[in-house]
Amino acid sequence: MSMQGLAEGDVVAVHPGEISLGAPKQQRVHIRGDVAERLLSIFSPLLLLVLWEVLVRTSLLDARFFPPPTGIVSTFGSLVASGELWNHLSASIVRILWGFALGSTPALILGLIMGLSPIIRAAINPMIAATYPIPKIAILPLIMLIFGLGEMSKYVIVAIGVFFLVLINTMAGVMNIEQIYLDVGKNFGASRKDMYLTIAFPGALPLIFAGLRLGWGVALLLIVAAEFVGAKSGIGYLIWQSWQTFSVEAMYVGLIIISVLGYISSLVLDELERILIPWKSLHLKS
Amino acid sequence: MTQANGKTSEGTKATAVTRAPAKVRIEGLYKIFDVGHGKVTALDNVNITIPDGEFLCIVGPSGCGKTTLLRILAGLETASEGNIIMTQRDKSKPMNSMIFQEQSVFPWMTVQDNIAYGLRMRGVDRKESAEKVDFYVRKIGLLKFAKAYPHQLSGGMKQRVSVARAFANDPEVLLMDEPFAALDEQNKVLLQEELLRIWEETRKTVIFITHSIDEAIVLGDRVIVMTAHPGRVKADVRVDFPRPRKVYELRAQPKYGELAYKIWDLLRDEVLKAKREEGTE
Ligand SMILES: Nc1ncnc2c1ncn2[C@@H]1O[C@H](COP(=O)(O)OP(=O)(O)OP(=O)(O)O)[C@@H](O)[C@H]1O
Ligand SMILES: [Mg+2]
Repeated sequence: MSMQGLAEGDVVAVHPGEISLGAPKQQRVHIRGDVAERLLSIFSPLLLLVLWEVLVRTSLLDARFFPPPTGIVSTFGSLVASGELWNHLSASIVRILWGFALGSTPALILGLIMGLSPIIRAAINPMIAATYPIPKIAILPLIMLIFGLGEMSKYVIVAIGVFFLVLINTMAGVMNIEQIYLDVGKNFGASRKDMYLTIAFPGALPLIFAGLRLGWGVALLLIVAAEFVGAKSGIGYLIWQSWQTFSVEAMYVGLIIISVLGYISSLVLDELERILIPWKSLHLKS
Repeated sequence: MTQANGKTSEGTKATAVTRAPAKVRIEGLYKIFDVGHGKVTALDNVNITIPDGEFLCIVGPSGCGKTTLLRILAGLETASEGNIIMTQRDKSKPMNSMIFQEQSVFPWMTVQDNIAYGLRMRGVDRKESAEKVDFYVRKIGLLKFAKAYPHQLSGGMKQRVSVARAFANDPEVLLMDEPFAALDEQNKVLLQEELLRIWEETRKTVIFITHSIDEAIVLGDRVIVMTAHPGRVKADVRVDFPRPRKVYELRAQPKYGELAYKIWDLLRDEVLKAKREEGTE
């Protein structure tokens, strides 16, 4: 009696996607419904834009506050052509990335340590709990005072916002790891370093990602705020400057760019998560 | 009685004596847990001597301290009092590896990485470790799943991975805490046979906890019956069926029935006592 045969006997769902549920007829109805939904979700915003344009042209909507979409598009075109938009966009992205790196790296390390060591957690947690609730925008003036109006103050404010979210989530992620896995590590001779690298870090990864995701949202918020007051470039600066010069079209371009940036980065994080955490809900994708 | 002269795994390694007759010696072991409102005595003066290469089974009612005993042997818990002396023959091999009662396979590692875990921690070179993993992946019938993650496996398959992880680590003493309890009957018999086959090749010292009298007789050289909570050694029953054994053939022998009856007779009072205690608590 060989053990090899056992695998076939076990009921396992490795590729549930291959198992088709429901009759084909029902599926076709479903697909038609899908297409209709998709068309609707493309056309309804378009319809809104057309309506908007019409309302502005017939002066039912105040063009000073709601410039016509065609106007926004042409401003967008000229901002792209002059290279101005790209300058602002790249300035913001570089600041966010630097701030993100500066904030999340120490947060990750400290979060892992605090998660595994009750003593260090007890020593540091009160400080975190006391400083975390401070709205980060409230310390922006202080940051600018300390770091000046240059790039560093932008990195720092983003870093602070990201730091807390990544730290708290990383720590929670490690503390959520079941004791049994730490016991296995200990029994199989894992060193302290192994405990971090083979158990704490991978085990906390799903929550670390949740922290990174939240951190990215906060980073966008903070960078725009920081660029409002103390910058000569960046999407935040573009929006603020448009307010001052009353070029509302450019302001809308800035808003659109920020939302597209948020959307694309969440797609990138999704993809990263899928690659880095293949052991979580692998078959829920598609 | 909380003086800490109990031994942790480091402690046991430190006291390892070379060429002693016994592989594992448990002497006057007590374990008292502090639980908020008072103390729970889990182990009450346990004394067991296990010769090198013996397959020892331990049976006892639920909550009698079997897991606690194994966790102390594994260095995951410290004894309140008493000594554990393990004799290490080969310093390059790990002293013990535990197969846990509950799901303990790392969800974030593939089957092969899970099996290789102990080897990786010991710094065994990649080639040797890959060969071992390949051997055990085949043994447990999961070759096709070598690169799968545990969430793609059934509960029984995960338990097989946990068995393979401990065997691949090649320890001198295997600590098995009801490893097959979660398996269905057919897989259980197959895995018991495989375990016997591997054990007969390697003759490692095994301490095997089970609540199945059948399993204890089929596998063990000796069956220790523990009392209900607090855990003590009640009886020590020798099982001298010749080896190599065939699980299903063994059951047909009249001696099997005698032994099963004897052990059940010893165990019955304890199980009833454990039941009564549960009721009064
Ligand atoms: N960490 C702990 N803290 C307090 N009490 C504990 C702890 N671990 C175990 N106990 C107690 O010790 C006793 C023995 O528990 P143990 O898990 O060793 O039993 P067991 O024989 O393995 O039972 P089962 O057959 O159900 O697995 C129980 O009364 C349990 O409540
Ligand atoms: Mg147990």
